[in-house]
Amino acid sequence: MNYTHVLDNGLTLVAEQMPFVRSAAFRMLVPAGSVNDPEEKVGAAHALYGLCFRGAGTRNSREVSDALDSLGVQRGGGAGDELTSFGGVLLGDDLLQALDIYTDIVLRPHLPANQLAAEKALALQNLESLEENPMQKTMVELRKAHFPGPHGRNSLGTQESIESLTIDDLREAHETRFQPGGAILSVAGNFDWEVVRKRANALFGGWRGGGPAPVVPSTEGGTPLTHLDHPSNQEQIGVVYDSVAPDHKQYYEGLMAVQVLSGGMAARLFTEVREKRGLVYAVMASFQAVKHHGFVQCYAGTTPERSQETLDVLLSELRRLAEGVTQEEIDRGRTGLLSRLVMSGESTSSRAVAIASDYYLRGRVRSMEEIRAAVEAVTPDSVGEHLRAIPPANFTVLTLGPTALEAKGE
Amino acid sequence: MRFDRATLDNGLEMIGEYNENARSMATGFFVRTGARDETPEIMGASHFLEHMMFKGTDRRTPEDVNREFDEMGAQYNAFTSEENTVYYGAVLPEFQPRVIDLLSDMMRPSLRDEDFHMEKNVILEEIALYKDRPQFRLFDRARQVFFGDHPLGHQVLGTEQTIRDLTRDQMNEYFALRYAPNNLCFTLAGNYDWEAAKASVERQCGSWATAETRRAFPERSFETGREFIKDEKLQMVHIALVAPGFSAQDERRHAGNLVAESIGGSKGSRLYWALVDPGLADTAHVYLDTEDQSGEFIVYLSALPQKAQEVLDIARRILTEVQDCGANSKFALTQEELSRAQRKLASGMVVGGETPFGRLVPVGFDWVYRGEVRTLNEHVDDLLNVTLEQTHAVLEQRPFDAWTMVALGPIDDLCGLAESDP
Repeated sequence: MNYTHVLDNGLTLVAEQMPFVRSAAFRMLVPAGSVNDPEEKVGAAHALYGLCFRGAGTRNSREVSDALDSLGVQRGGGAGDELTSFGGVLLGDDLLQALDIYTDIVLRPHLPANQLAAEKALALQNLESLEENPMQKTMVELRKAHFPGPHGRNSLGTQESIESLTIDDLREAHETRFQPGGAILSVAGNFDWEVVRKRANALFGGWRGGGPAPVVPSTEGGTPLTHLDHPSNQEQIGVVYDSVAPDHKQYYEGLMAVQVLSGGMAARLFTEVREKRGLVYAVMASFQAVKHHGFVQCYAGTTPERSQETLDVLLSELRRLAEGVTQEEIDRGRTGLLSRLVMSGESTSSRAVAIASDYYLRGRVRSMEEIRAAVEAVTPDSVGEHLRAIPPANFTVLTLGPTALEAKGE
Repeated sequence: MRFDRATLDNGLEMIGEYNENARSMATGFFVRTGARDETPEIMGASHFLEHMMFKGTDRRTPEDVNREFDEMGAQYNAFTSEENTVYYGAVLPEFQPRVIDLLSDMMRPSLRDEDFHMEKNVILEEIALYKDRPQFRLFDRARQVFFGDHPLGHQVLGTEQTIRDLTRDQMNEYFALRYAPNNLCFTLAGNYDWEAAKASVERQCGSWATAETRRAFPERSFETGREFIKDEKLQMVHIALVAPGFSAQDERRHAGNLVAESIGGSKGSRLYWALVDPGLADTAHVYLDTEDQSGEFIVYLSALPQKAQEVLDIARRILTEVQDCGANSKFALTQEELSRAQRKLASGMVVGGETPFGRLVPVGFDWVYRGEVRTLNEHVDDLLNVTLEQTHAVLEQRPFDAWTMVALGPIDDLCGLAESDP
């Protein structure tokens, strides 16, 4: 059973009841993240998220942590590009108590000046750790090359921007961004809807503000080919190209095209790059979306002597998509999407995240039935039409490792 | 919730935890084999074999195997550890006959020569991939130092050398010995049809011949090793401490898990407040690794080079102090700390166990390690029933006095250990 309830101040409560489970998961999405950070203060959203837990409402830092642990909250969330997300999962009986504490964390954090240095020290360590993780570093740099604007930022910031953050920066960010306009609270699992709705009204009713203005993603002026020297054993290859937005009429066709590429071990990339040629251990493509913009992100990792061939095969497979897909590929892709849908319906955490992000991206929550019908309506012809209209092209390629590569055919 | 159990005449075991409310089912073969069951010459054979099991049978080409899994929309894969190799798939209930047919058939693979040589490249790529991950290098080395020449110190992936040298005959021989039906456990979880599953498995696996399959448990000494590896390519210092813990069969493992969570859970633990909260270290974890007749407490720390020694010293002090459990000790674990750890681990267990996919491995391991079936609620009770005295009893054994350390990072020395050559 699904519910949606919009409070007077603009906060939307979305919920999905799942009988037969004991847990309940929740997410509070605040529609502001690193894209809202001022250019010289990137990392503010990230630091603000951490600082929110260092004392809130009547509790100090340790009391917040102990209270969440006593309820057995498995914490999730963090600051992303367009959103900052708070939440977790716990036994359904304790949901209201957890919501009380999280309301303090989001609305009434102390943001203590004497804790800022610790938060900055952690952010700087995250930044250093990124240098040791070539795959993650590749994806961060790939985004930067594809989205020259705020959407390409590393949300951690830079050493300079992190060091420049002051407590006033973060207090101002909290003041101007953490507002109910555009905010979403999702709940999934075992709970009583009426009780949750009433509590949400009581907790958030007095919250005021229209929320920050949205930042529109742009790929204008991106860099098509970048190589970064890195002392790694494997050459890392990242490729990204634009696709349909979540609210586009060919969205499910776009999703299905990525299934054909990378929906399983019989999908094209795994078959051509790993199974037939033994070039890699890992190769994958995934569909990603921000508001009003969808894109496909691909990754392969391989030793330097095989890296040019790997990139060649990867790009030729992306281009070959425009020639169309077969009935068998669509059948497999459909079964894969539908079975994943059913299985995600067994996990409260998956559902809490899914319905919140659905509401954020589309302004409404799609029912399972709606998604099923839409996936079933996809045919080889409709995918072919989509791929002719919006073929994989204008690739942004980024390589990281010992060898610079050539993007042939670009 | 209902448990199902059967043993075929050839020794193959079947175990299931049925959940009528589930919308999917998960199933898999649990093979009691891993790196510890290899000789040093063929190190990596279990894991390489796991890859080869997807390469087809008398009835199926390698492409067929992948395609059929995808046609069922299965969430499927396999993993290999020091002592288990597990092949699994989660599907909607309508695909039960097909997924059992496929998995059972895969357990009798062709192991074709050309596939063996092609897949060798993929394994070498996997080794290269993990070489780029300092944490994996650290734990690989820490196990080698802690276990010495005991087989539990073997590397799951093997080395470039052992993989290049491995022959197909060696793999065939290893397969014949380790994949005998009496060394396999077929596991089900979720919404499945037991009678139909039993009939399928009997039909497909009933004729497989039993073999003499044993696991060796050589004695090992608990000498502590210390090693520091200088690596200027790294930004952080990574430190692993290994101390004797409790095995998968030891009842004290529940108390051990709670001790580890209280001292080094990722949030809200003693190490968290001392090291991560003030920003001295970016990670400080303690956990209990339980194995067949062996177990270890593992401590993992990562910090910037200039903080590494301080972080290690503080962690060592906390680990030493908490072992002081006398009545007047101000460092003994408290009831509040224990209760929080219990709530955290119990809720994690309940949430993780709500899907058939999440239940499959715990159900399989209960049987493989202890020959027991236990519901999720019984496991939760095992945790909640641990008393403060039991956790103190664990700590009074002073496990953290006998610590092995391996560290990796861009500095000249740690604890006075200059660079050592691994």
